[in-house]
This record gives sequence, C-alpha cells and structure tokens, in this order.
Amino acid sequence: MVSRRDFFMGAGAITAAVAASSVSRVSLAGLPEPVIQSSPETMAPLEPNTGRPYKPVVTLNGWTLPWRMNNGVKEFHLVAEPVVREMAPGFNAHLWGYNGQSPGPTIEVVEGDRVRIFVTNKLPEHTSIHWHGQRLPNGMDGVAGLNQRAIPAGKTYVYEFEAKRPGTFMYHPHADEMVQMAMGMMGFWVTHPRDAHPNIDEVDRDYCFLLNAYDVEPGSYTPKIMEMLDFNIWTFNSRVFPGIDPLVARKDDKVRIRVGNLTMTNHPIHLHGHEFEVTGTDGGPVPRGARWPEVTTDVAVGQMRQIEFIASDLGDWAFHCHKSHHTMNAMGHDVPTMLGVDHRKVVTQINSLIPDYMVMGERGMADMAEMQMPLPENTIPMMTGDGPFGSVEMGGMFTMLKVRADQPAGDYSDPGWYQQPEGTQAFEWTGPLAEPARFKSESTTGKPAVEVQVRKPTGHSGH
Amino acid sequence: MNKTNTAPARLGFIGVLLLTVAGCAGLAPQSSLEQVQQQSAELTGQDALHWATEQDQPPVVRERIAELLAEPLALESAVEIALMNNPGLQARLFDLGIADAQRVQASRLPNPGFSIGRMTRGSEVEWERGLHLNLGSLIALPLTRRIAEGQNAQVQREVSLSVMRLATDTRIAWYRAVAAQQSLAYSEQVLQAADAGAEMAHRMAAVGNYSALQQAREQSFYAEAALSHLQARQEQVASHERLVRLLGLWGEQTNFTLPERLPDVPAEPLDQPDIEQQAMASRLDVQAAQQGAERLATNLKLGKATRFINVLELGISNNSSNEEPVQRGYEITVELPLFDWSGARMAGNEARYMQQLQRTAEVAINARSQVRESYQAYRTAWDVAAHYRDEIVPLRKRISEENMLLYNGMFIGVFELLADAREQISTVNRYLQAQSDFWVAQSELDLVRFGPVTPSEANSASTTPASPAGGH
Ligand SMILES: [Cu+2]
Repeated sequence: MVSRRDFFMGAGAITAAVAASSVSRVSLAGLPEPVIQSSPETMAPLEPNTGRPYKPVVTLNGWTLPWRMNNGVKEFHLVAEPVVREMAPGFNAHLWGYNGQSPGPTIEVVEGDRVRIFVTNKLPEHTSIHWHGQRLPNGMDGVAGLNQRAIPAGKTYVYEFEAKRPGTFMYHPHADEMVQMAMGMMGFWVTHPRDAHPNIDEVDRDYCFLLNAYDVEPGSYTPKIMEMLDFNIWTFNSRVFPGIDPLVARKDDKVRIRVGNLTMTNHPIHLHGHEFEVTGTDGGPVPRGARWPEVTTDVAVGQMRQIEFIASDLGDWAFHCHKSHHTMNAMGHDVPTMLGVDHRKVVTQINSLIPDYMVMGERGMADMAEMQMPLPENTIPMMTGDGPFGSVEMGGMFTMLKVRADQPAGDYSDPGWYQQPEGTQAFEWTGPLAEPARFKSESTTGKPAVEVQVRKPTGHSGH
Repeated sequence: MNKTNTAPARLGFIGVLLLTVAGCAGLAPQSSLEQVQQQSAELTGQDALHWATEQDQPPVVRERIAELLAEPLALESAVEIALMNNPGLQARLFDLGIADAQRVQASRLPNPGFSIGRMTRGSEVEWERGLHLNLGSLIALPLTRRIAEGQNAQVQREVSLSVMRLATDTRIAWYRAVAAQQSLAYSEQVLQAADAGAEMAHRMAAVGNYSALQQAREQSFYAEAALSHLQARQEQVASHERLVRLLGLWGEQTNFTLPERLPDVPAEPLDQPDIEQQAMASRLDVQAAQQGAERLATNLKLGKATRFINVLELGISNNSSNEEPVQRGYEITVELPLFDWSGARMAGNEARYMQQLQRTAEVAINARSQVRESYQAYRTAWDVAAHYRDEIVPLRKRISEENMLLYNGMFIGVFELLADAREQISTVNRYLQAQSDFWVAQSELDLVRFGPVTPSEANSASTTPASPAGGH
C-alpha cells in the first residue's frame, strides 16, 4: 500500500508509486509518474503545495490525485486499469478503475487552472474520458467517436483544458460506457473557486463521494455488466456499510457534502438531525435566494448535488439513501414473504431433509441481522453493522454524520460512538398498558368483506 | 431232448458274450447331478443342488430356507434358496435322470429275435428254430454308446447353464428389488419435501402472503410427487414379487426383508483384456457345439463302418426233424447293396457334419461377440455409476450446500430450498439406478463366460440425462 502521505514525504516516495509494468518507463518519460492507491481508507485531504491555494475536499473512502506543475500547467496522470475494490471487509469486487481504485482518485483544481491530464489505458479494450459538467473545447469532451478516437489499449492520450467554472464535477468513460461504468470506472472532480465567490461559502469540512451500484452475484467477484435495474450492491464510492467511513465534524462546523450519481436510478439522500440547503448542482452554485431547506435531496441519475449545513447538534446522525432497499446489501428479490407464517411441524419436516435449515422471516427480516449464519464466500449479509445498541440492520448506502464538541479541526478520524447525555435517550415504559378503545364498524352483511388474520407476535418465542 | 437241450445253452453263451461286449451300463443320475453341481459352482458359488424326490421338501431344506429368510436376505442367500427351491429348476434337473436313462438304454443290445417254424412233408415234421441278432447293432454298440454318453453330457451342460442362468436371474432380481426398495425410500423423501412445501404454501396463503395461484403451484409439486411415489411403490412390489417367484416362495415365506442398500460399486472396474480367450474355454455352448461336431464325426465313421453290414443279420439255426438228425448251422442274410449303396445316407451324414461345423463356428463367433458386448456393457455401467458417484452426486451436494448459504443470506427462499432438496434426492436416486444397472451388468458378465446372454435393457435406465440443473 502506498499512502499519499508517504508519497509527499520526499522525492524517494515518488519511486514507491509504481506504474504497472505493461507501460514502459521509456514511453512514460516526460509524463508525471502515475500514483497508485491500494487502500480503501478515507485519505486525509491533500493540501496543495504547488499552484493556486485552495481548501481541499475529503473523498469518502477515497483520495485525491497528486499533480505536478509543469510550466504553469497542472499535470495529472490517470491510469485506467482493472482493480480489486474492497467494498467492505471480507467482500472484494473485481472492478475497473483508475490508479488502483474504483472510483478513481478525486481531481482537485482551482478555477482558471490550466489542466493537462495524461490518460493511460491499461484496460483490455479502448476507453476515453468524459469530463462531466466541464466547459472545455469540443475535442476534449471525451466522447469516443464523436470528439476523439477512443484510446486504444496500451496507449496514453492527453486531455488539456482550462478549469473554467468552479463547482462539482465527475469523470467517467464515454466509450463502451455501459460496460465501463458498470465495472466502476468513474471519479470525482472538484474545481475550487479562485477568489471569494458570492454563492460559494467557505466550509470547515468538504466531503465528496459518488453513488454507484453493482450487481455482484453472491459468491462471485465481478459485477454483472448486463444488469439494468436489479442491482444488489448500492454503494457510496463503491463501499457498503459498514465499510463506509462516517462523516465527521466538530460542533458548529460548516459542512459541505458533494454527491454525484452514476447509478441508473435516483437516490433521495437523507440527513438526520439537521436541515441542509442544496447549494450547488451540476450547473454551479445555487443562488442564495433559490435555496430552500431540506432534510432529503433527491440526486437524479447523472446529477450532482452539493448540500451545506451547520453541524449544530452533537451525536451520531444517520445519513443515507432513503430508498429502503438501498440500505441493504445483496439480497434475493424473489424471496417469498414469510411474515406471520406459522412454521410449526413444517420446520421439523424440512429439518429432516435439510438439517441446516432455520426459519427466517416469520417475524420479519431482522432475524437476518441477528443470526450470523454462514453465507456464500465474498458476500456480506444483507443487513449488518453494529451500533452501540445492537445491530443497525442496514447496509448499502448508509453512513453517519458524527458531530463532536472536541473533534479537532482537520481531524477526520472516527471518534467512536456518541455518549448520549443522561436522560436524552428513549426508554422503556414500565407502567400499565391500557387496552385501547377500538373503533367498531358494522358491515351490512354482518361479516367483514375480507377476513384478515393477523398473528400478533408476543416477543421472541417459539424458535 | 439232447438236441433240444444244447441249443439254448449255446444261445445262452452267445447272450453272455453279447452282454460282455455291451458292458454293464448302470443308471447313475446322481453322478450327473454332481457333474452339474461342479460345472455351475464356478458361477453360483453354491452346492445347493439336490433332487426333489418327494412331493414335500425334506426338512433339512425347509429349515435351511427358513434360516436364510429369517435375516435380511443377502445376495448369495437368495441364490442358495433359488437353487434349492425354484420349482422350474427342479423340473429341469429331472432332464438329467431322463438323459441318464437314455444313456443306459443306448448301451443295451437290441433284443435278439427268435423264430420257430414247423413244417410237415408227408409224415415228416420239421421244426425250425432260429435266434437272430442284428449284428450291425452289435458291431455299432461301442459307437452308439459313446454317442449316447455324449448326449448325456450335453444335457448335463444344458442343465448346468440353466442353473447358472437361474443364479444370475436371481442376482439381478435381488439387485432390482433392493434398488426399488431404496428408490421407494427416496420417493418418500421427495414426497416429504413436497409436502412441506405444500403445507408452507397453505399456511402462507392462510395469512395472506400467497395467492391461490402460488399456492396451487406448490400444491402441484406435491401432487406430482405423490404420483411418483405410487409408481415407486408399484416398482418395489413388482420387483419383490419377481424375486419371490425365482426363489419359489409362497405363503409366510414371502415376508422376508432385504438389506437396506445395494453394495457399493467397486472403486475400480474389472480390466479383462483376455476375457474372450477365457470365455472360449469356459463357454458351455461352445463346448457343446464342438462335442456335437465330434459326435457327428463319430457317426460318420460309424456310417462308413456299417456301410454294408448295417443290414447284416446273424442267425443261428437249429432245425430239427422227426426223421432227420438235427440240422444245425447258421445263416447270414445279407442285404445286397444293389439298390442302396448307402451313398445317400453317407452324403446326408456328411452334410450334417459340415452343417454342424458351421454351426460350431457360428456359436463361437456369437460367443466372442456376446462376451465383448457384455464386457462393454459392464464397463459403461461402471463408468456411469462412477461418474454419478465421483462427479454428479458431489456436485449436486455442493449445489445444495451453496443453496443453503444463499438461503442463509436471504437470496433465495424456503421453496427454492425445498425444490433443491427434491432435486438432490432425485439425483441420488438416479445414482442408485446406475448402481443397480452396474450390478446387473456385472451379473450378466459373469454369466456370459458360460453361456449366451442378451444384455439387458438395464443400461438404458442409467443413461437417462440428469434432470435440468437448478430445479427452480
Ligand atoms: Cu438510493
């Protein structure tokens, strides 16, 4: 593993970053050495030490690509290549990405920067990169066939343009994109404002991540690229909870979160405990008068949203996509609903044939998170991840905003579980429970039109 | 008086002489049975043959059968019972007695003829007595005896083959019966899985989680499983009854039990590159054909030897007259081969001989072919069973294990798990069929070394394709 920090510690660190062997050093002479990242951890922000100054972002479970100044031009080197992405501990996906990771590294520049990006293709097929949302010359827009020839396997192409407007952008292939996006080829791009901008506030913490979805068959490693809607892995930056790091803030920090959506469906992103404003879209900063308060913002397909808020309230606050299946990991979509089905006797019969069979779903799916039964290899349970009070019973697009009074500025490490002050937590009522008065309707036939039997569970019994 | 006394004495002398020539051939059916016992033991591994000389079984046999039936009936116990008790075989054994009697009959001389005549010429009364013996038969006697003995040996061989065939049929019936019983147990398991599915679907419908259509689908698996179960039960009964018939059992005796499972298929198949040569030495039909040819050759020699004298008749005359002294003498009548030079008979014999040579060649060729075919059937049956054992069943097990993991992760539901269980059980059942086919092929390969076998249809059963994978 080569961390970026090591890389910037000295000149020797440069050599630690290794270009893969199929591109010869000779052919790369004159190119910035590509930097490869193998860790899935959230890397500390990359403070700019050359070029125009800016306040860097933090890429959730990701990193920012270092650059080289060359006669006033910021030079980056992206290498498109197959990668192994740890989506959560114990669950690795074989993806295509950039510089050792999927999503690729975040590119951060400043408004007005001249940017030159070398793109080396180490995929088995041609590729190209589209700089989603940028104002640039037509020949740099990266649509293979339309704007340029596709970059053949083994070749390096150069993109060069001025980062004209500040804002939140993405990059992704525009050649065989159905396959290449399904395989995880994408990355974030942030153009910081050069000067104070009337509609862009300074923030204390600036997080970014992409929404992505995969269909990885339980027990397999490679996403099924033909899938169109029935994905089973919903991710922030190709990580699933509990593999997603929390967003950390010091109390009263101004926090910006930038979200880009490269899945095939929309995601209502919801923050607990705070209201936020959408301060920017793909088109740029939202005029202040046009902003309205939200606790959920829908990020449509191919869109980006910037939300901002003051982390005013201490605690561990859930932050997630509000489509409830998107806070689940891999699960069967044709599994029958067993809710309320009496298994008595049948389970004995089944056990005589299938000794390992256990009843699941009779009381709901929460059993699933509790039982910890063996699963196919390279798979994590559909709901997993423990909180201080038990299973969180979620996976997928779920993480937390952790607001602490004493979180040092610039410290993005997980502060652990929030200690709730005495008397501020839901508690068990132990007093008497009165039988509720129920409304009694009279039917003309004397019978209800549909007889519905509801088995009311009385705690955990009978298993 | 004097004259009349001496003639019978001489005739008696001739009789003694003839008897000496003929030899004392006694009835010996028991030795025939021992021959059969010996010939068939190589395949049956039993010495259970005996004559059912009385209407009822001797107590020792009855007790032995009762003893064997008290335990779950082992394969070789079944063979032992069949050899003791199969009425068809008992009937067949009497062919030995019949053939033996014929052999003895053949070694007896033809009865001499006696003629007496009384003639008068005036006052003269002349008695003419004659004892005639077909000399040809006498001369031919050693040859005809050899032929009869040959025929007896042939009957022994045929009976031996019947014994071995019965042993083989019994073994096959035993394998089939055990397999059918095992199969029935599997079909019960399938039924149980389908029942659990139907019951679960019923309960799901009852709480509103399943539609009538979904419930009916699961119910239909149960209905089909019930059908298969009926068929399996019928097969079990039919195969049991076939075994009962071969064992010659009735009444209480038919309530025997069988072992729970078939023996395992051997780890390695029998490699028999020289099976054809071996079979040529041990095939009874080849031996019989050869001996048949030899016998015809002897016949041919006999024909040549008696070409002119087969009609030769030796007579002893004793003519007495009241006026003349007794006139003694002999007379030989010769049929002159004036019109029948025996050419046609010789030609017929020769043709028959040549025919037998061709038949012998045919028998040998067929035997070789049958041996090869049976060995191939055996190898294929082993390959199929081993493939099930080493590939298909472990894979099916692996699939079930993975499905269990998928169920744990809620990727599939209980109905898919039950469908998988049904699928796994039927795969194991198909392996069982392949196993049973192997043992049948093995039994037939054992038999084909001694006699003709038409390879059974067995192998078609196991080559039925494995059902489509997945099952849901
Ligand atoms: Cu979502």
